[in-house]
Amino acid sequence: MSAVAECLVAFLFGSIVGLLVQRSRFCNTAALRDAIMFKTYRNTKALLVAMMILSIGFTGFMTVGAGHPMQFDVGLNTFAGLFLFGIGMVLAGACTVSTWVKAGEGNIGAIWALLFTFVGMFLFSLVWSWNYWPPAPQSMTGEPNLPALQLGFANARTLQDKLGIPAIFFGLIQSAVLFAIYRAILRRERAQHAKHEQHQQEAAGQEA
Amino acid sequence: MPVSLRWAVGNNYHHTTWRGQYHVQHTRRAAVGVDRRVEETMEFFRKTLDPVFALAAIAILDIFLFLILGAWTVGGGETMMTGLVAQLFLGDELMRIPFWQLVFPPQGDYWKIYISLGMFFGAFVGAVLSKEFYWRLPRRASEWLMITVGGLLMGIGIRLAFVCNVSTFFGMGAEMNLGGYLAISGIIAGAWVGSLIYKKILEG
Repeated sequence: MSAVAECLVAFLFGSIVGLLVQRSRFCNTAALRDAIMFKTYRNTKALLVAMMILSIGFTGFMTVGAGHPMQFDVGLNTFAGLFLFGIGMVLAGACTVSTWVKAGEGNIGAIWALLFTFVGMFLFSLVWSWNYWPPAPQSMTGEPNLPALQLGFANARTLQDKLGIPAIFFGLIQSAVLFAIYRAILRRERAQHAKHEQHQQEAAGQEA
Repeated sequence: MPVSLRWAVGNNYHHTTWRGQYHVQHTRRAAVGVDRRVEETMEFFRKTLDPVFALAAIAILDIFLFLILGAWTVGGGETMMTGLVAQLFLGDELMRIPFWQLVFPPQGDYWKIYISLGMFFGAFVGAVLSKEFYWRLPRRASEWLMITVGGLLMGIGIRLAFVCNVSTFFGMGAEMNLGGYLAISGIIAGAWVGSLIYKKILEG
């Protein structure tokens, strides 16, 4: 596929995602923040459902050797980077998706967050150019490299190649675990709802 | 229904009234069909969609994208945009910074850039059609500060990890990449610490 066609496909995909996220008010930050702070799960449930579908879809196609899985070494930098990102997204009130979506809705704060994400990336590029860590994807081998705190990479397809078990098998297990979390959230929501109803009835009883 | 659409549907209908009885009825039925379809389309921009439905649809599209190009990510496109913007300001001087030479040599036809631009465009269209587009400004200085620090941390975090939250949840995690699990643990721990800080600032 030519580069222009790739860009067009990406733009079309992005536009539909932007529209759906804008209309549904989905926010990845809220999916984690609201579950932690307010014990509400509107966005968390959506995130889990998407991950269930994706786990089955991706591993299903990986089983037959289709698709383009991400391949690069992971290490402690993966954990540390996303830890900083997690703090940042709660403070900024938006993640990478919602900054673009809110910017499209005319939110100056989101545009400001986006601008400083760019600044943060540029600052990090200066630090990287000084210490060359974490290793660039081009120099990664997929094998563990402990002096560089890299653990190599593994995904469902790697497991399939090494163990001879179809990737979809692992995908189904992951989806089942995600579904169990989803059901636990539903149970919790029902319990919250029942408690709320009970409180309201008690309040009504006292007033009477 | 907006006036222009009502006019368009009504106008179609009037043009056919001179035809025979069958045609009139047939067209009337078709016009009602069009009317309903337009109504349904407009309804989409009036109601808030269930996020479970929206994310399920996005997941299915993401599987197609995975087959054609690769799973949905945002951080890579943002990094390339950073490089392109920096090149605008610094010109060839940028190439003296090894990161932009070895890891992300700036190139305008990198497909991931266009996912982000598409999200901006799609959200703009959605907001305008549902009359939700308006300029919003953070009011307090503390909000500006939190957004600035938050944005910086997001940028640094994406580059340190080589992944963003989208590739964590909608790419690596679902591909069962080891990095996905590390990243998910990191982002949950970060969101928890972030929430504590956020609570403190709200209460203070």
